Amino acid sequence: MKTLDLKITDLASPEYGQILNRAEKRIEEAILYAQISQQHPNQEIEILSFPIAIMMISATNDPFLKRRYALAEAKRAYNSLKLENAEKIITIAVFFNWKIKLAEQTTTDYALNFTDYLRNTVDFHESKWKLVNRALQNGEVHLTRDEAARLLAEEVRRHIEKKLEAKLELELPQTIIDHVERLEQLFISRKGKIRLETLPKEVVTNAFPPCIRQLYSDVQSGRHISHIGRFTLTSFLIQSGMTTEDVVNLFRTFSDFNERMTRYQVEHIAGGRGSRTKYIPPRCDTLRTHGVCPGMNEICRKIRHPLAYYRRKLHIIKRETPTAPRT
Amino acid sequence: MNKIETQAFIQENFAQYYAQNSGSIQSPSLMEKREFAFLIFKEKTMLRHKGLTTAEELRNALKTIAPSDVYYSCAYYERPEEDMEAKGWLGADLVFDIDADHIPTPCAKQHDTWTCNNCGAAGHGAPPENCPTCEGQKFKDESWPCEVCLESAKEETLKLVDVLTKDFDLPIEDLRIAFSGHRGYHVHVESEATRTLDQIARKEIVDYITGIGLEPIFHGFEKGRGPNLDDGGWRGKIAKGTYEYLLTTNSEQLARLGFKKSTVNALIKEREKILESWREKGPWRMFKRISAEGWKKIIQKGIEKQSVKIDTVVTTDIHRLIRLTNTLHGKTGLKKTIVSFTDIERFDPLKNAIAFEKGALTVVVSEASQFRLGNETYGPYKNERVELPTAAALFLLCKGAATVSE
Repeated sequence: MKTLDLKITDLASPEYGQILNRAEKRIEEAILYAQISQQHPNQEIEILSFPIAIMMISATNDPFLKRRYALAEAKRAYNSLKLENAEKIITIAVFFNWKIKLAEQTTTDYALNFTDYLRNTVDFHESKWKLVNRALQNGEVHLTRDEAARLLAEEVRRHIEKKLEAKLELELPQTIIDHVERLEQLFISRKGKIRLETLPKEVVTNAFPPCIRQLYSDVQSGRHISHIGRFTLTSFLIQSGMTTEDVVNLFRTFSDFNERMTRYQVEHIAGGRGSRTKYIPPRCDTLRTHGVCPGMNEICRKIRHPLAYYRRKLHIIKRETPTAPRT
Repeated sequence: MNKIETQAFIQENFAQYYAQNSGSIQSPSLMEKREFAFLIFKEKTMLRHKGLTTAEELRNALKTIAPSDVYYSCAYYERPEEDMEAKGWLGADLVFDIDADHIPTPCAKQHDTWTCNNCGAAGHGAPPENCPTCEGQKFKDESWPCEVCLESAKEETLKLVDVLTKDFDLPIEDLRIAFSGHRGYHVHVESEATRTLDQIARKEIVDYITGIGLEPIFHGFEKGRGPNLDDGGWRGKIAKGTYEYLLTTNSEQLARLGFKKSTVNALIKEREKILESWREKGPWRMFKRISAEGWKKIIQKGIEKQSVKIDTVVTTDIHRLIRLTNTLHGKTGLKKTIVSFTDIERFDPLKNAIAFEKGALTVVVSEASQFRLGNETYGPYKNERVELPTAAALFLLCKGAATVSE
């Protein structure tokens, strides 16, 4: 935009209306369908609409909308990247400072440095993406072309999210603000469809996942629990509605129980101290790494987080419990 | 001397050590960005969030505080002296801790003891689920350094270094190996490449090293074929581990995996042929008596052999405090000692980590199993007064197994 000597106020003028419109369409499609599939026939408009869209989303200050937009752009990037040739893929990857090269003896596969690989797979949950399930040699992970495109798209997503995080330092003209507000409304009405289920006030021990069930019975019988086990149990119980007082009392059976210390730690996890963050328990694969997971059951296979198990199980219990007969 | 006086006595010796050997204390790289912490003898409390900027400052702190243990953060911070939330995390070394506690050793920890908190019953080895006398579930346990444990820890360390340098291609110069001063080894990786990796990325590294979440299907098992001994990464490890398992297993172990007696016998009988087949295409297709499910069990044993037994929590903790090199371990009086990779086979922790090399002391030992320090073996002792070299005497004092004779 700088090189084109575009001023922000110009955007409100009719000549640039097409760019603004296209930017709005990009966002609209992202909100409604979580993708950006269409393209403006005029390439200049298409290209210029991207920074404008970024600017508009930045102005919303809605982290969910930001994430959704970045994801939609990343999907689009993936769809075009997977059709690119090796040279182009490598050029783009190097632009993002990746250490990547064509794998030996192939023309379609890549060898990517493990740190770049790890940075761009943290949000992937399928077991095929786990480092332990990859061919790792000389610090390089072997990738197919499609996988390389997928990881590059992830880099794009992170790149856009970072851009969107930055504070907008210029003042937008009123016409653009109007557009931004309309999009925000659209997103809110769309979001409204995803109803957030609230958890019951009382802790339902029947709905505990196997890991929490195990920790809970260990703590009741005063058996030794690892540090991470204590953290998992405490944060889970707090999140599912147990009071700090009740959690502290639970630990009373320990031989090394120290009321002041325990209270301090439980309150910290409950968000009552220091950073004021209310901690959530680690996700399932972290619990597996540290040996807290006692093994999965049927429901475990469908979720990735102990709290997700709890919600799901509550739902099942609710469905199975007949409502009290009325007279 | 009572317990408090003994503590004060140990502290005096530690203070003297730091006064006389302050030159050996080196500051860690980028020390001004790290947090330092000292475990205080008297209250056994941790003095944390200390910022130090020069080696001189660090040496003076050790001399004046004379702590029982000295730590620094593997993390780099903008403001090391602030509370955790305000420190401003910049990155962290990648650290590994290999402790005999996490390794199933052949000695089965018979040298360790436990005491039931409820009835006082005691025994050797790891504490039981329930006390055999009173069914109690709470125990106090004491560990004892053992040659077998330390040797196992060293073997795991070598395995770890192998994975880090081969699979991860980390230069050996970026790795620092050290004996912790008690029951194991630390490996520090100070490298730009890994410094800013977050907890999840480090967890993935841990899972790779330990083999957690490994699914053989991703490692070359297809159409009746499998990985080969000379393959890289986990492919080769699965092949090597499985080979080693088959080479060393016996009928009982195989039966425990749930194989029928006839299958076990056939497997043992064909063992030579199976192992030999690795020079060609591997055994994956040839031994028809074992089903795919059966192979899975055997392969799992192979994976366990290749998995490195690291402490998973240490590596994934991006704020971890680590013992400072050449400082004393409060539980042994030995020092954390750097081991050069080329010398690791010859490194003798119970000799090379001795800090107190001169003098002798008379102590009253309540109870102690036999132990070695340097070239001498001491004990076992029970309720006796003995004159020992300072290192051995301090070792027993630090372990709480003796008091100073008056």
